[in-house]
Amino acid sequence: MATTTASLALTSTDLFADSLSISTSHQLNKAGTTIGLDQTTGLNKVYLTATTNVDMFTVPGAIKNGKKSHVYLAKVSTDETEYIVVSVGDKVIGRLYAQDFLWMPWNQQAQHISDLEIAPSVATGMNVEYMIIHEGIVLTTATDS
Amino acid sequence: MATINATVSVNSNDLTSNTLALSKTMTMTKAGTNTGLEFTSGLVRRTFTSTNHVDLITAGAQNYGTPTASDSGSASKVYIKNTGSDSTQYFEVGLGTSSGSGSATADSIGGTHLALGRLYGGDWMLIPYHGKATVGDITVQPSTAEKMTVEYIIFFE
Repeated sequence: MATTTASLALTSTDLFADSLSISTSHQLNKAGTTIGLDQTTGLNKVYLTATTNVDMFTVPGAIKNGKKSHVYLAKVSTDETEYIVVSVGDKVIGRLYAQDFLWMPWNQQAQHISDLEIAPSVATGMNVEYMIIHEGIVLTTATDS
Repeated sequence: MATINATVSVNSNDLTSNTLALSKTMTMTKAGTNTGLEFTSGLVRRTFTSTNHVDLITAGAQNYGTPTASDSGSASKVYIKNTGSDSTQYFEVGLGTSSGSGSATADSIGGTHLALGRLYGGDWMLIPYHGKATVGDITVQPSTAEKMTVEYIIFFE
């Protein structure tokens, strides 16, 4: 097992009359246990040059349904008018604009319904970073022809 | 406008042979601009005592900003946390229409609901939020009828 901690700080001094200061931290554990997650994709960085909706990760079956995964995804390009649309299967979660990130749990519930997908708004080139910390993902079977 | 900052940090000394020390900060802005988001739901705290699948956040009809025709037309954000500490109890968080009963609507391509993942005790998430009616509802289903509490806050245009 490994010990991995994910923390978040949410702050604002001018959103409303009171200051906003939310801070939270948790250890990433396997589902239903206090045993740390011990697998990761590592931090990926890609440069996308088409507006095609693509799979970041494909779920080829429901073998890992109920297993624990956490997803980090960031649009690291800086143009404020450009974005990526993030979806799980055919359901849109929302847009990530310049420097935006998301952190979310991910259940590989069902084949392709749970695929993690992104679609850039422009084809002029965009940097995206992502990482999954998990207790198992299914790799697709190799096809050589 | 307001300045709202969110910083995520992910750290581990033993997940891989290389130390993991990820840190990323974003300033929440309106879609396509450098102007900060300026509205919020405030930090909401809800306690559940049944396993019914329900809407945690109901989208549309000016609830959290002006709904758009697109299901991806805003830069709003939502933070959700399971405030419990039990490692076996969780909220299943989803998008779309809640069933209102003890069974979530079956997830399918073209269907009305999708389970995203599970928040166990102490887990949190921060995701973009488009707020389109029906498909933008955020649903939860507690894993147990024992008392469970969730907190959330929406930042929107």
